[in-house]
Amino acid sequence: MIWQLDLSVLTLIVICAFATIMVKDLLSAAIIFGAYSFLMCLLWTEMGAVDVAFTEASVGAGVSTVLFFAAVYQTSRKVGARKSGRLLSKAFALIAALLTGLVLVIAEADFPGFANPFTPASLHLSPYYITQTLHDTNVPNMVTSVLADYRGFDTMFETAVIFTAGLAVIAILRRFKKEDRHDLPEPYVISEGYPDTIIRFVARQLVPFIQLFALYVVAHGHHSPGGGFQGGVILGASFILLAISFDFKIVLGIMSERWNVLLGNIGVLIYAGIGFLCLLLGANFLDYSMLSKVLPATDKIMARSHGMLGIEIGVAIAVMAIVISIYLNIVSHGKYDKGL
Amino acid sequence: MTLVVILLTLTGLVFFFATTIGILRFPDFYSRMHAAGKGDTLSSLIILLALVLYNFHDINLANLLVAIKILLIVVFIFMASPTATHAIIDAGYEASIKPWMKKPEEES
Amino acid sequence: MHSIVADYNYWIYILLMMIGLYAMLAKNNLIKKVIGMSIFQTAIIIFYVSIGAKEHATIPIIAHGHGAVEAAIDVAHYANPLVHVLMLTAIVVSVGTLGVALAICLAIHRKYNSLEEDEIQEQLQ
Repeated sequence: MIWQLDLSVLTLIVICAFATIMVKDLLSAAIIFGAYSFLMCLLWTEMGAVDVAFTEASVGAGVSTVLFFAAVYQTSRKVGARKSGRLLSKAFALIAALLTGLVLVIAEADFPGFANPFTPASLHLSPYYITQTLHDTNVPNMVTSVLADYRGFDTMFETAVIFTAGLAVIAILRRFKKEDRHDLPEPYVISEGYPDTIIRFVARQLVPFIQLFALYVVAHGHHSPGGGFQGGVILGASFILLAISFDFKIVLGIMSERWNVLLGNIGVLIYAGIGFLCLLLGANFLDYSMLSKVLPATDKIMARSHGMLGIEIGVAIAVMAIVISIYLNIVSHGKYDKGL
Repeated sequence: MTLVVILLTLTGLVFFFATTIGILRFPDFYSRMHAAGKGDTLSSLIILLALVLYNFHDINLANLLVAIKILLIVVFIFMASPTATHAIIDAGYEASIKPWMKKPEEES
Repeated sequence: MHSIVADYNYWIYILLMMIGLYAMLAKNNLIKKVIGMSIFQTAIIIFYVSIGAKEHATIPIIAHGHGAVEAAIDVAHYANPLVHVLMLTAIVVSVGTLGVALAICLAIHRKYNSLEEDEIQEQLQ
């Protein structure tokens, strides 16, 4: 931990947050928000949270920015002109924000010191994870072992939350019949655009390697930063790259809507299915050590490692399908005809 | 070895500095993107090469693997960054942004 | 000086939380409100990760293999992995909520042809 670096990155983060709120153009706000996310990612690497930083780089800086772009593309990029009579509500908002800040500043005196290794948060539960993960599960990356094994129940429902979010976006936006679409506004068109050979060629060359890297991230999450969430988001982002550089239709050709929703289901089912398999084998739900009865040539410790790999694959499939589905729905306003 | 690493990092930082000045001071969209695209790519490549060398303080299999991974990142940046710059400039051209010219009275 | 610097992360998280809350309450544009919500979320994540940080600690991955010595594991030597796990899932869930929020924005824009809060309220009355 280098406090000079910490300080400068935090200062830049505050500047970016101010600029995002104050800027008048929504596209600029989305880009500055992407820069904000990248600075956040630097800050977390600096604090030792590499997995969080990786997630932020793929999710916050990558997919969130693209989603903001898609939403701005479908609506309008200009923020409306300031009107009189809003001064009172702004003053109230300022007072509310300042009051919250005051309460937090008062509470700040009771916080444990920053970067103190002997705070209550670091003394009760986490020492067990730190000392026992290699012994229990043979997984050196503690974040993966806590995520997928010790707190596997939690992660299963997080995956279910992502899945529900994807379903909610489809339920809100999707218009299946042609006659339901007459009231949709035409998207804000930046430019018509002609097929650009350079971009298409490079995107075509890069996409297989991006997907290979995503699979590496999923499979190597036991030993390095990464895992199902990050790998799934990168897989989804590779399809989004195809959709942007080529055509909307090409992604639908590879990954139709039916397949997309089906894959989301399959991912969550793989996770829950491994849990139920453990139940059938006579252990607790998501207790992978009993999988050694099914998997050949594994003892109980390696079975936990392999079980984690299985659920990471399920998470990656679900997250990939949901990210693609959310993007396609937002960018085409639920029409699935043309996009960015 | 350490000296080479320091020299490479400093060179990369100089290029980054020039890129930043270019983005801030150039007169129009196209020349600013020119500074961003070229300087950014080159300085990232140089700093990553410095990292590869720094990694070789003692040569064994693990260090070699890490070095190969960093070199793969270098290849990725070398392909992706100029393409991104091209895409942005292309979008600007299609949106018919006028390039900066010298004023007529200065030419004569 | 040291106490101010030492708690710098906490001050910044309070500041970011205030910025996010102000944007959610005061901004007229709905997408600006969504951006404010995202800033609020990242403020909370900064708070949690700051709690888990330890001085002179390394990343929570145990060095092993490739000839590394199997030493006894010192707890103070690794950052707290529990908060990292909680925040990792929080970030991924935040992209889900962001998608739903933007979808609701688009649905509102579909019906009222505007993203400004006061114009929508005029049409509602």
